[in-house]
Amino acid sequence: MKSSRNVWQNFDFVLFGAVLILSILGIALVRSSIAGNIELVDHPQRQTTFLLISLAVLFVVAAVDYRYWITLIQPMYIVTMVFLLFVFTAEARFGSARWLEVGTILIQPAELAKIVLILTLANFFANHESKSLDLNTILRSALIVGGLVIWIFLQPNLSTTIVLLVIWAALLWIVGMKIRFILIAVGIVILVLLIGAATGFAFLADYQKDRITNFLFPDPDARYGETYNVDQALITIGTGGWFGQGYNQSTQVQLRFLKVRHTDFIFSVLAADFGFVGTLVVILLLVVVILRCMRISQNASDTFGSLIAYGFGFLIFFQSMVNIGVNINVLPVTGLTLPFVSYGGSSLLSLMLGIGMVESVAMRSSNSKNE
Amino acid sequence: MNVFPQRNQSFDKWRYLVLFILVGTIFGFYILRLFDIQILRGADFNAQAEENRTRIINEPAVRGTIYDRNGVILAQNVPSYNVVVIPGYLPEDEGDTQRIFRELSEIIDIPVSQGATDEESVRNFTPCYNDLGISEIVFIAGTNWPYDETALKCNVSKDVAMYVMENREEWPGIDVEISSVRQYPTGELTSEIIGFLGPIPAILEDYYVDLGFVANRDKVGYAGVEQSLNDTLAGTNGIREVEVNVAGEIIRNLSEPVDPIPGNDIYLTIDARLQAIAREALISEIDYWNNFGGRIISNSGVVAAMNPKTGEVLALVSYPNYENNRMERIIPGYYYEQLSNDPQDPLLNKGVTGEYPPGSVYKLTSALGVLNEGVVTPEYEINDPGSIFVIQRFYENDPGVPRQFVCWDQNGHGMVNYRWAIALSCNIYWHKVAGGYQDEVPNGGLGPWLMSEYAQALGYGSPTGIELPAESDGLVPNPTWKRINLGENWATGDTYSAAIGQGYVLSTPLQVLNSISTIANGGKLMDLTIVDSVVSANGTILQQMVPSVRWDITEEPLIETYDGNNPTGELKTVEPWVLQLANEGMRLVVTEGTASRYEIERHAELFRNDSSQSAGKTGTAEYCDDVAQSQGRCEFGKWPSHAWYVGYAPWTDAEIAVVAFVYNGTEGATLSAPVVRRVIDAYFELKAIDTAETP
Repeated sequence: MKSSRNVWQNFDFVLFGAVLILSILGIALVRSSIAGNIELVDHPQRQTTFLLISLAVLFVVAAVDYRYWITLIQPMYIVTMVFLLFVFTAEARFGSARWLEVGTILIQPAELAKIVLILTLANFFANHESKSLDLNTILRSALIVGGLVIWIFLQPNLSTTIVLLVIWAALLWIVGMKIRFILIAVGIVILVLLIGAATGFAFLADYQKDRITNFLFPDPDARYGETYNVDQALITIGTGGWFGQGYNQSTQVQLRFLKVRHTDFIFSVLAADFGFVGTLVVILLLVVVILRCMRISQNASDTFGSLIAYGFGFLIFFQSMVNIGVNINVLPVTGLTLPFVSYGGSSLLSLMLGIGMVESVAMRSSNSKNE
Repeated sequence: MNVFPQRNQSFDKWRYLVLFILVGTIFGFYILRLFDIQILRGADFNAQAEENRTRIINEPAVRGTIYDRNGVILAQNVPSYNVVVIPGYLPEDEGDTQRIFRELSEIIDIPVSQGATDEESVRNFTPCYNDLGISEIVFIAGTNWPYDETALKCNVSKDVAMYVMENREEWPGIDVEISSVRQYPTGELTSEIIGFLGPIPAILEDYYVDLGFVANRDKVGYAGVEQSLNDTLAGTNGIREVEVNVAGEIIRNLSEPVDPIPGNDIYLTIDARLQAIAREALISEIDYWNNFGGRIISNSGVVAAMNPKTGEVLALVSYPNYENNRMERIIPGYYYEQLSNDPQDPLLNKGVTGEYPPGSVYKLTSALGVLNEGVVTPEYEINDPGSIFVIQRFYENDPGVPRQFVCWDQNGHGMVNYRWAIALSCNIYWHKVAGGYQDEVPNGGLGPWLMSEYAQALGYGSPTGIELPAESDGLVPNPTWKRINLGENWATGDTYSAAIGQGYVLSTPLQVLNSISTIANGGKLMDLTIVDSVVSANGTILQQMVPSVRWDITEEPLIETYDGNNPTGELKTVEPWVLQLANEGMRLVVTEGTASRYEIERHAELFRNDSSQSAGKTGTAEYCDDVAQSQGRCEFGKWPSHAWYVGYAPWTDAEIAVVAFVYNGTEGATLSAPVVRRVIDAYFELKAIDTAETP
């Protein structure tokens, strides 16, 4: 065992620094998003509190050897499934939220599910490692995924379902799924889509269908709703120019033409306030975060750690890609947040917990500087 | 002592590489897309953002008031109270909101809720014209324009408006909007002069929008002075450019606001009292004869009164007309349709727009001509046998066919000279002096060319210039006109017909009035006017009526002379003594001529009391229009006729001239003359009252 002092020397300060800058920028942008809305006034302060708690969690998690989590994976998986089941049935009884109130803070089971799925799959693939991933292993991993995803899908929460499935696919890819199987998988996806089209996408909720329809065939006269929101986001981004209109200076934001601006469309606030240069900086910071995670994955001392770093890195990549894609109107509206930047304690906490684990992996990697 | 599974192999490098390429490609594409949106299309999106936040508020200008010459209000703006809601300011607590709705519901008599709304009723939502409950209106308004005022109930009484205003503190979000509605205190009495307002017509929308009007809100004149002087009355709307947020809440002015400029007030030359008497006189006369005849002889007519010295129109009645107060908010479709389909054309001011054969009143045009041209001397006597036959020729060597012309008195008037020909309105005399019947008249008569010259000199064939819409020109025929428009040569009989204001001659009642008024005024043809003054909202007189002489026929050479059918290019004036004799002839009409005949006892008193010293001319104009045609009356001897009478007083120095026209009134002397006499007498009575009041 390395000494504790040595371990901290391997702490990835570039990753941590990028994450910290993004989170602080996030608070600033949330503040800009208030725009006189009384309901949002306390959000920057709350986000600051969330960030402080999340940083504490990050360091605690980083300090703990990630391998200790292996013993907790099974109970965590079961607890998460119970949570999801509870939410699913509560949904049936009360007809609302994906939020589960525990004490005074709100935990979003979907966020929990992302962490638990990455850990569970990382552990599973670490134990079934082979150059040629056989069908049996793939199917068993599908069962693990299915146990969580089914309840989220039935809520219905399509975006989280897709995130979880994409994480699974990304992990399958890296552990060496053969091209043959990939082609078969792609075939199945196409088949599912065709069946879906034939049944009129009966499994989608109305609002989800609307979002897809709005994306594919926008109504040019819409004054409200999704199309309006996306149009306003585009206008807001467009007003940014090279350097932006200045912090808190965007008319689109301050006069509230931009909707859901503290979460889904916070990237548009960034673009309006700080312009093309601002967006470029944030995208580069996100790329730094992703690439650092991947580097840690490549240098991890074991497969479990490697897959954890890879999983969280991919999660951040995917969420960033979808969120920015929605903002610049190349993807349909999904409700996925921009990692570290968007308002939301649950999301920030789970991401920081993930970064903590990645740091934990980095600190204990085999080819760290001290070896 | 490591219990954790150790790494026994590393993942394929190329699988990471594929992922890196994916990250690079996607974010690379995003950066390009951002460059496109922010840099390349930035100006476009900035313009859209500007459009989002700026709103132009057009503040309506107050329309000017219309007064009569004595300051009696003929058109004004009155406040109309609407109870409105601004959903954004309603209390947040649903219970409080419901309490407000309940309390308000009792006051304004609209249910709190009328059940669910469907998309249809939301799409068709029109404030003031819907049967929705308060909740539904608030829902629709709150979704679409939460910070704008939306009317819950329009045109509430002042008491309700006051009550709501007193409760503003307890009812946040509820207010009273005061809008202005055009009201006409004199209503039907002056509607043919004043007109009414209506929405900006689609075809003129661009024109009015360019002037700063707002379609679907601002109104423009549709008839009368409201239409013809719309520009003077309307004023200029104010403009405010403000910044608004997404809810429509006004944040601040973006530029210096331009305040609306109120429209100007107009004082008309009309005397509302004289107008009332004229209208009453016309209607009661028509009613009397309809009762007397036991059938509807007539149900339409015109009375107009003017000052011959100034051209001011003092009264202008066109009957039937309409109730313009019914158009104060909207033009009701059924009412408008009813008016449009009425054969009497109540929407038209027949005094200005109606074109009718003037009949014997037109004889005065020839009367000036025959003396001025020396066709006859005043003493020259011509025989009226009651009926003559004229050989109708279309060209010089046309053998022709005989055509009969008759005097209204079939026994004939015997030998008549100039003054008696006017007094007795002797048709045969005027036929002969115009057409030169069988060399009875020296020089072959006045002829069609000169007849038209004298008619035009008296204002026939051209607009009077009155400030009212849709004025007609009338028609003074001559051989050239006939060849161009009817493709036919001028016939001998045409001259005979035109001499007595029949045949092709058409004129508006105001032209008839102004022609006689010109003679009464010693030859000065005045431009008619209905506007006394234009006064700005702050009291400055912008325009004051000054009498405008179009021409003085005794001074300006207007009469073209002719050699056969060819103008000689020589112009001449009318000798003043000719006008004097025509004036004397018209005095004789009243004292001993056609207007002195009293077949009906009730007229005896009216006419024998000659206090006003009036002169005048009767006219009974045969006509054939669609109505007469359908009754089969367009045949010789059976023709229906309009009743005309123009009178002025005192005949030596006229200050009032009045025309009365009764459609299908049969005889001018009996139907129209009494109306004119009553108006003239009323004028002098009113003058006496006014003089007594202002010593």
